[in-house]
Amino acid sequence: MAIDSLNEVILMLNIARLFGKSPFAPLQSHMKKVALCIERLADIFNALSKMDLEKIDKLVADLSRMEHEADLTKNDIRNHLPKSLFLPIDRAHFLEILSVQDSIADKAEDIGILLTLRPLEDFRNFTEDLIAFFRKNELAFLDAKQIIEEIDELLESSFGGIEAEKVKSMVEQTAYKEHEADKMRQVLMKQLFTHGEGLSTPAFFLWMRLIEEVGAISHLSERLANRIRMILELK
Amino acid sequence: MEIEVILKFLVLIVGFYMAWNIGANDVSNAMGTSVGSGALTLRRAVLVAALLEFSGAFFVGANVSETMQRGLIDTDMFITEPLILILGMCAALLGTSIWLQIASYFGWPVSTTHAIVGAILGFGGLIGGIDAIQWGEIGSIALSWVISPIVSAVISYLIFSILQRNILYAMNPTEATKKFIPLLVFIVFSTFTLSLIFNGLQNLNFSITFSEALGASIAIGIAASAIAHLLVRRIPLPEIDNRPPSRYLPQTVVSLEKAIKHLQRVQVASFDATHEKVGHLLDEVRELSNKMRQETSFTERTSEYRSVEKMFVYLQILSACFVAFAHGANDVANAIGPVAAVLDVIKNGIISDVATIPSWLLAFGGLGIVVGLATWGWRVIETIGKKITELTPTRGFCAEFGAATTILIASKLGLPISTTHCLVGAVLGVGLARGMRALNLNMLRDILLSWIITIPASAAMSILLFYALHAIFIG
Repeated sequence: MAIDSLNEVILMLNIARLFGKSPFAPLQSHMKKVALCIERLADIFNALSKMDLEKIDKLVADLSRMEHEADLTKNDIRNHLPKSLFLPIDRAHFLEILSVQDSIADKAEDIGILLTLRPLEDFRNFTEDLIAFFRKNELAFLDAKQIIEEIDELLESSFGGIEAEKVKSMVEQTAYKEHEADKMRQVLMKQLFTHGEGLSTPAFFLWMRLIEEVGAISHLSERLANRIRMILELK
Repeated sequence: MEIEVILKFLVLIVGFYMAWNIGANDVSNAMGTSVGSGALTLRRAVLVAALLEFSGAFFVGANVSETMQRGLIDTDMFITEPLILILGMCAALLGTSIWLQIASYFGWPVSTTHAIVGAILGFGGLIGGIDAIQWGEIGSIALSWVISPIVSAVISYLIFSILQRNILYAMNPTEATKKFIPLLVFIVFSTFTLSLIFNGLQNLNFSITFSEALGASIAIGIAASAIAHLLVRRIPLPEIDNRPPSRYLPQTVVSLEKAIKHLQRVQVASFDATHEKVGHLLDEVRELSNKMRQETSFTERTSEYRSVEKMFVYLQILSACFVAFAHGANDVANAIGPVAAVLDVIKNGIISDVATIPSWLLAFGGLGIVVGLATWGWRVIETIGKKITELTPTRGFCAEFGAATTILIASKLGLPISTTHCLVGAVLGVGLARGMRALNLNMLRDILLSWIITIPASAAMSILLFYALHAIFIG
């Protein structure tokens, strides 16, 4: 027997086989793909500010493809997840985190598609306000993403200690950003209902849906942050 | 006499081959992680492992070897025909070696210990009938196979939980580690020394009582922990620079949070004016806590876990040595127990009443392990070192400590157990304490299967070989 193959054989006898496929690295790579979707959505909003309809169509198609890629990663994680006893965190919590991440990518795609349905009728500089609103939501999302990036450190500290305290304060930060985004949403909605009389029904409806869907990004980001908080070992 | 000289050489060669096999394959479990983490160079790991395997075999190996020699089958059955016993033990050793080769070809996690016990039982049961097998002893050995992985799991679970509580969950992990390391060093050193000198030094014609041994171990443990204390004192606490220092320590904020939690409890339990008053207090304290939180930086301090792991790299070298020692103590018996039985018969012509393992034979077995390690095992250590990255130094230390302690206790009790299975149990223990990324359930199933398959398979192998040897030497 060649040396290499014998080595392989001996390796198989060893404790190295004890370690299952870790789901945390794939979870982070799924988050990266979700973040790419949000980034693409930001590009779409940039194109929207110039009313470049052709570019929007192209970018939304791109976004759909990215969302699909994220979905594939998600399914792969679900298929290979070890049983909860053999994971450092509860299986249900883990799946919940994954599913919230997935919803964020779905939302990004939904918003993109809404923008391709018909050219947006601007009134009272509402487009600019919507873009600013999106930026606020994006901030909340970036906070949540940073928390997911902390998972390695959390494992290192067994989900407790100063690392847990740090993540806890990050969660609070995310919640605060969501609160700010909510306040902005209220203002936008109020303006829409006060001054929207001149709009056609489809345009009014589209505006409303857009505000709702964009606001969902910060809601989901906050929920994601809170899901992570549930796995912390806080004293 | 001619035939017995041949047999003597045959059994020594086969026994040496078994020892070689053990050294080549099993030592890697202990040392691989230390090489992987860069704590030891490959050359040093091999040297240290060789030294400790040998001393484990030489000083503590006798207990289990005696079990292997005469604890499994009733050797009195062979008083009239000592040659049968010689051939049988040779067949058992050869059968085990062949079975291990087959198993490793297919990648089954079989244990050398299970194989040799199965093989001896196989030929013993065949020749002497069901009565020749010492069922009481076999029962306790079988029980120890089930219990030993569980005990290692429990010990490493407990040790890791203690580390979690005192180091990982601490607000200043580096400082906590520096305080904790001398205690851990004390525990490791005194357990190690106790097992070494109590009943261990008789091979050097030097025996002491238990209380003397205990006193000496505690003294050595204290000395070692004093040295460890001096060493860790020189490690500086991590500097928090580059940023304006935070005005409060993170633990201060945590203390305040605890106060909030307790106030909340008071609020729930109280009513009327007190309830209102506590409510006001709570609001005030909450506001203060938020303010303090903003002036406190948790961020920079999380890099402390890295310095904790760096310190544990050195502790893990200790625990790896501990495993190597325990491994030598338990597994050398697999190779030399049967050899001892054969040599005993050849030397005396009959089977002696008192089981003794000559010191030179223990040294011989230890040498076999060292040669196996030097000629083949180092490659395995190197490969494993690259493969195991999941076992960080803190986790590795806990797992190795749990496994080594269990193996040593079993060795002292004369119980032949599987080192690999103990390590597997220990790693699972750390994993269940939320210490690992993910564990593989299939490993447990494989271990159970290996128990069920190995014993009859190696028994059958040894029976076949017994007939073959019988035909050659007796006709």
